[in-house]
Amino acid sequence: MLTGNSAIAYGAALSRPKVIPAYPITPQTEIIESLSEFVAEGLLDTRFMLMESEHSVLSAAITAEQTGARTFTATSSQGLLLMHEMLYIASGTRCPIVMANVSRGLSAPITLGADENDILGQRDAGWIQLHCETCQEALDSVIMAYKISENKNVLLPSMVNIDGFILSFTREPVDVPSQRKVDDFLPEYSPETMKYDANVPISQGVATIDGISYSYFRMQHHLAAMNAVRIVEKVQKEFNDAFGRNYASVEQFMMEDADYALMTSNAITTVAKSAVRRARARGEKVGLLRIRLFRPFPTEDIINACKGLKGVAVLDRNISPGAGGIMLPEIRSALYDLKEKSRPIVCGFIDGLGGKDVTLDEFDYMISRTKKAASDGVGVSEIISTKKQDDRARMMLSEARGIRKTKEED
Amino acid sequence: MAPGTPACAGCPGTLGMRLALKVLGRNTVIVNPAGCMTLLTVYPYTPLKTNWVHLAIENAGAGAAGVKAAAEALGKDLNVITHAGDGATYDIGLQSLSGAFERRDKIIYFCYDNEGYGNTGFQKSGATPKGSITTTTPKGIKAPIGHVGRKKDIFSIVVAHDPEYAATASLSHPLDWMRKVEKAKEATKRGPAFLLLHAPCPTGWGFDSRFTIEYARRAVESGAWVLKEYEKRKGTTITYTPKKRIPVTDYFKGQKRFDHLFAMDEMHTAFPHEVPEKQMEAEREIHTGRGVLTELQSEIDEFWNKAGNQDDERGKSSNEQCQQ
Repeated sequence: MLTGNSAIAYGAALSRPKVIPAYPITPQTEIIESLSEFVAEGLLDTRFMLMESEHSVLSAAITAEQTGARTFTATSSQGLLLMHEMLYIASGTRCPIVMANVSRGLSAPITLGADENDILGQRDAGWIQLHCETCQEALDSVIMAYKISENKNVLLPSMVNIDGFILSFTREPVDVPSQRKVDDFLPEYSPETMKYDANVPISQGVATIDGISYSYFRMQHHLAAMNAVRIVEKVQKEFNDAFGRNYASVEQFMMEDADYALMTSNAITTVAKSAVRRARARGEKVGLLRIRLFRPFPTEDIINACKGLKGVAVLDRNISPGAGGIMLPEIRSALYDLKEKSRPIVCGFIDGLGGKDVTLDEFDYMISRTKKAASDGVGVSEIISTKKQDDRARMMLSEARGIRKTKEED
Repeated sequence: MAPGTPACAGCPGTLGMRLALKVLGRNTVIVNPAGCMTLLTVYPYTPLKTNWVHLAIENAGAGAAGVKAAAEALGKDLNVITHAGDGATYDIGLQSLSGAFERRDKIIYFCYDNEGYGNTGFQKSGATPKGSITTTTPKGIKAPIGHVGRKKDIFSIVVAHDPEYAATASLSHPLDWMRKVEKAKEATKRGPAFLLLHAPCPTGWGFDSRFTIEYARRAVESGAWVLKEYEKRKGTTITYTPKKRIPVTDYFKGQKRFDHLFAMDEMHTAFPHEVPEKQMEAEREIHTGRGVLTELQSEIDEFWNKAGNQDDERGKSSNEQCQQ
């Protein structure tokens, strides 16, 4: 039984990184604590660097990869944001770093609970993003991420995301593969050109003052990211062959004859699957689609999964204030060109921010509201919570203002 | 370093690195934070016959640490040296410099100090001395002397980390510089080394590019820029004492960034009745040009008198080491 953080630490250790720069932040600290224990016990041969900030963590990771060493690190939330500038430099210089992000809602207000704003806010930084539902998937995804990132047709950094607290500190049964099996699956990192050698001096990260060479490199970056869609599929298949666990960029659950789909990502999917089972038991033709690969965006998989459906209910555990959820427009855009009769009505539901619970009742509501929207022919976008949660919020606001109201006065 | 780099004529930053590379050789990685030196390499060209990487502005220390860690992990013998300006070192990069020295990463942190943010057109940095004009500390009625702050004592900050080696240098004494680079290289077998090279900047300071070395010499001979070194557990020693110090005004004269300090006083003496009332008031609050120069001279005198009286400065900077 391993927590999500432990699972990631094992996945990282098995991948044999040569350099691990680290900095603590809740809720990922357990990852670097575990790794430091492996190092202290002589189980992991790596250069473990305790850096002075997350910005420095990623800076050191970049130059370590540029020197030719496989590198791993982990962060969350504010730490991820502090790295923001360096995320672009990591992908722009094509460093195949693998970094775990343990999602946590962003300050302000400060919180520790999970939501997706931290990682989704980095979607344009040019990294590969894999979002995990289970601890097993987290361990497996770190290993797969190296194989994807280091592929010569990709050479881009990857983030492996798990929900803070919900998954990071939840124990689940995890099969830890043997080092030998992982070594067979993931060979040693052997860069062709990105390394330092006295005989072949190179200058890296040089200025491209003209727009032409800059645009060229950015195009290459984009093409590499597009390549990654099929490399991700390829590696997932190879992983299944080697370890017997199958992962899909867009997982389909009970979708065979579905008319409606819930669309989720990360650990809340487990609850959503329960809602789907309940709906099925009631005789409703509902399924679930889980977004595992977010960047590059799996457009074809989304189209294939959604075409012909009557409605899709997208859960956004994130918000772009002034616009709405981040996932909703990505899905709608992917489906825009479908012929009208095969294009589903897509509704968006914002819930679960800052670790707020998303309950079975709320999933039921999402399904029923989407059905109504489908029959009305118009999609909706809503922010939802339960009455119990609203009452609690009102109570806390009153407390803060020093007012004690009775139920009648409220 | 090959000839034909796109730097300003008379640039001491490039000269310093060129000499340093003669000592370090080809097994070197230069880690460059954003600054003048970033533009040495412009795609598709590089003048360097060794390795180089540009990162961002504030992470030279962290970037160098990453190269060193990877080199050690891969069993590669690489000299790692930064090529960092004062802005990237004294200000925005201080966190990552401190971290690298606290961890004792075996790197040479080389800072060329031209006393301002040069690449962006010469703005005030933590290394800008009092009285210097920069584009963000211009002179005006409310700001007659230009920059009112003091130059940060980065050397003492680094020495507080008890590095393996730290030294200040100047291109007026190029062999001394190269000797110090050699000592730094040797020191990185055991821990971090810091090299602070005074870099009189023709473009930023406002003098003809053929006088770079001359101004470097005047800074040293006036005692304003102290040549010293720190060795772990031995403390700080001064490596060069001017036999007869020239007045600091000889160093400042002729640099456009300090012209106003001389003009202000002349203006007062010649036409006191024409100085506007507001300006007189402002100056009473801060200093006159003469006031700044006099203050600086007395600080320099005090430092050297003290230095003459004791051999060991043991990392104690005090404000007297104005290094202006």
